[in-house]
Amino acid sequence: MPRPDRQAGRPPRRRMGRRKVCRFCADKGMLIDYKDDRLLSGFLTERGKIIPSRITGNCARHQRRLTMAIKQARTVALLPYQIVYP
Amino acid sequence: MAERRYETLLLVRPDQGESGLKDVLTRVTSLVTDQGGTVSQEQIWGLRDLSYEIDDEKRAYYALVEFRATGPALAEMERNLKLMEPVMRFLSVRQDENAPPARLRVDEVASDETRRREDDERDGSSDERAEESPPSEGGA
Repeated sequence: MPRPDRQAGRPPRRRMGRRKVCRFCADKGMLIDYKDDRLLSGFLTERGKIIPSRITGNCARHQRRLTMAIKQARTVALLPYQIVYP
Repeated sequence: MAERRYETLLLVRPDQGESGLKDVLTRVTSLVTDQGGTVSQEQIWGLRDLSYEIDDEKRAYYALVEFRATGPALAEMERNLKLMEPVMRFLSVRQDENAPPARLRVDEVASDETRRREDDERDGSSDERAEESPPSEGGA
């Protein structure tokens, strides 16, 4: 007999581990700046792609600003568009 | 007309040398002041490796100019920058009115830290590394 609080066929998704907190909200002193390539590179994959907020836990506002900063940094070659492996 | 705070990051061709870089900076400064703006800070980052090749160059001189100017003044300055042969690329960004002035050379700190890190590794102690490394968490 189907339970009323559950959609048929799809089991509820279970969250594993602790809830992620936006690092920029947690530390107000941490500014997002396109010139800070060291900070920004931490939000890139080893291929140079921007890591989604789903993984990093950034809030939407800071993810937007981070994305902007990364793209600006790419424009002036502080960050790569892609990292190619031989 | 409303004056706003801007900063422009300049990439200057490496064959220009330090003196060529200085020439570019003085020209940029006069471009700003001629339009009624004021330059508040100039930073020379020096010759840096590019993350990717631009115009067959692997390195470039980086310089940052902070200034106040009107919108049309910035447009005029950028128009001139495009015409300047030694300038490979530039990026102008509007700064928040109460943002702190650009710190000198973000990378200086970085190189200091890498040096310290190398020292740490030699000593076999690896504290103080954890705070800096951004997210290493895998997908949950």
